[in-house]
Amino acid sequence: MTIAVSTGPGRPATSDRVRRLPEYLAIWVPLLLSAAHLIAFSLWTIWISFTPSTLIPVTGWVGLRNYSAVAASRNWQIALDNLLLFGSAFVLLSLATGLILAILLDQRIRGENVLRSIFLYPLAVSFVVTGTVWSWLLNPGLGIQKLVHDLGWTSFRFDWLIDRDMAIWTIVIAAIWQSSGFAMALFLAGLRSVDADLIKAAQIDGAGPVRMYRRVILPTLWPITITVIVIQLQFAISTFDLVRALTNGGPGIATQLPALVVYDLMFQRSLLGRGAAAAVLMLLLLLAVLLPYAAWRYVQRRRAIHA
Amino acid sequence: MPITTTRRRLLAGSAAALALPAFARAQGAVKPRLTAISQWSAGSDGAAITALGKKFEEKGGTWQHSPVPGFTTEMMNKLRAQIIAGDPPACSQLKGPEIAAWSKIAPTVDLDAVVAAAGYEKVVAPDLAKLHKPGGKWIALPLQIYSTNMLFLSKRAMDKAKADKIPVTWADFNDLAEKMKSGGVAYPVANGGTRPDDGQKFEAALAGISPISYRAAIMNLEKKALEGPEIKAAFAQVRKIADWMDPNVGAQHFSTNLKRFVDGDMGMMIMGGWAQGVLRNAGFKFDDFMIAPGPSDNGKPVFLLNADAFIFWQRKEPDLQAGQTLMAQLVMDPAIQTMYSQITGSIPVRTDVDLSGEGWSDGQRRTAAALKDSIASNQAVLSLAHNMAQENGMTAAMIDVITEYVKNKTIKPEQAATRLAEAVEGAR
Repeated sequence: MTIAVSTGPGRPATSDRVRRLPEYLAIWVPLLLSAAHLIAFSLWTIWISFTPSTLIPVTGWVGLRNYSAVAASRNWQIALDNLLLFGSAFVLLSLATGLILAILLDQRIRGENVLRSIFLYPLAVSFVVTGTVWSWLLNPGLGIQKLVHDLGWTSFRFDWLIDRDMAIWTIVIAAIWQSSGFAMALFLAGLRSVDADLIKAAQIDGAGPVRMYRRVILPTLWPITITVIVIQLQFAISTFDLVRALTNGGPGIATQLPALVVYDLMFQRSLLGRGAAAAVLMLLLLLAVLLPYAAWRYVQRRRAIHA
Repeated sequence: MPITTTRRRLLAGSAAALALPAFARAQGAVKPRLTAISQWSAGSDGAAITALGKKFEEKGGTWQHSPVPGFTTEMMNKLRAQIIAGDPPACSQLKGPEIAAWSKIAPTVDLDAVVAAAGYEKVVAPDLAKLHKPGGKWIALPLQIYSTNMLFLSKRAMDKAKADKIPVTWADFNDLAEKMKSGGVAYPVANGGTRPDDGQKFEAALAGISPISYRAAIMNLEKKALEGPEIKAAFAQVRKIADWMDPNVGAQHFSTNLKRFVDGDMGMMIMGGWAQGVLRNAGFKFDDFMIAPGPSDNGKPVFLLNADAFIFWQRKEPDLQAGQTLMAQLVMDPAIQTMYSQITGSIPVRTDVDLSGEGWSDGQRRTAAALKDSIASNQAVLSLAHNMAQENGMTAAMIDVITEYVKNKTIKPEQAATRLAEAVEGAR
């Protein structure tokens, strides 16, 4: 970009500008509109989080009282613990599943297109549907446990959905089912774009398939890995519909997640100020993931330009 | 007689015809119209409000009801959006202390005149009336009453337990549950897993153990009562109930298990009177179950009041104002209340409605009698689980503790009592 501009012949001709006007309009108008929305509503939420708003937004100033109330609540603490567990387990496992699927599909097998569609298909299903279906499958009285019991293995137990300590893992399972296809697709694209010469060279040097993947192919995948991690992490932080349909934060409040707490405070308890404070805390969590990523991207690009 | 029409006459006639509607409007004979929102969309609730709408139309009105299905809070979100947009419905469902809270954010209609004309105040329970006139003026009208602590007994489960006596105290209840268990009833207590469901177990336990403590701790939030022994006893009773419930229900609605309840696979259900409407709507017969007031240790019935109501929002349009008056008259009408309650399984707000006639169940008659007795003995209290005792924020903070306790059997009753008191302090 910078290079293109600096080598340009001063100002572009007016006719050229007019010709490119539709392009500018198509890009800048929606961009400005959505940026204005995003920024305006974020600022508004931040403002609300410092007011004593309950049923409807009101003016006033309560300082950090909403934040301390949210941070001190059991719901929020449980939500943060769950987010840590859910976020790391979900990201690592979906990464691993996606990678394994991608490597298996990469073996030039027959029916690859069909299999790829099948693995990608869950992504086309809405999270509410995923959550509802899994809530039936995992319900011990209706789903997998009952099926195995009916088949004759009556001591079989799979009741994580109603087990307070294990319930968070049911969300991990459903989330992985839903989104490992996405990781797979990205990894597969990465695998396919590995330089053929590199692979040939490795083959000539006598590298076996395992060694080839470990030493030659996978190292080229790490930019994609980081992209997948960031996308999955921001999904994990903002998870709402999946949990709402699957456990609704239960049993009790054992599977609370930050987004559920925000919704609960704003719309169930009519505490707009506190809900906004929780939402701002969520935004900070997201920034903690996205800012390092942006910085990393910036460094990468600088390096690419100077290389 | 030949019809002769002069031009002038024709002109005069058409002028009069044109002027007629305007004249009629000036006379107040405008066609009443009502915009209303509620959560009642399906089942017996939906049927009842549709029937109410029909009556409204029979009286010459235009009925515009937009149901918002789901929990009451979902309906409130729509109401909030409409109020912020400056376009509230002429009338909306709202109940309990929320009436007072919401009346502060948008102007409401003063219903004193129309209430006085109907002589309504004399026939409404005083505690209930208070909730609907927060500033001393009637701004909302209760429509129907439920008790949230009715005890439903499955006939087949009773047969299995070889029992025919309806339990009166919690000790009786516990005995019967044990008998059912040994008689082959898989789960002596039928349950759902929702938050209000868990909350109902607790409020039924505490109010049955001591209505005085319930009033002090839950309704008035007195610190001393919240730390009192009755709260611990109530949590201990809830643990017993929870041990008799099917843990597999997850977060399901209580109605999922009604068939197992009727079949005698589950024995007793502590649920609001609305379960009668749901059972009937699902095709079950009155012979399949019995209804009685929930357990009360002093033997006199305890009534956990839950009342649905309509609040009226100020509108400038004359047709909406006329619609509000008509709606208010209908809601207070004993015939309408009878029709409504017979569909939903509730009891009328008016204490002067005769329930001996056809169309009422024994359960409803018992509920109405329980209301009368409990008012007399000062044992009619407001339900926590159904947002009658406290505003939503406080209610949710308390239900958090209760629902966690029901689902986590490692929490001791003493711990739960401490947490409840802390939750109240935190939400104040």
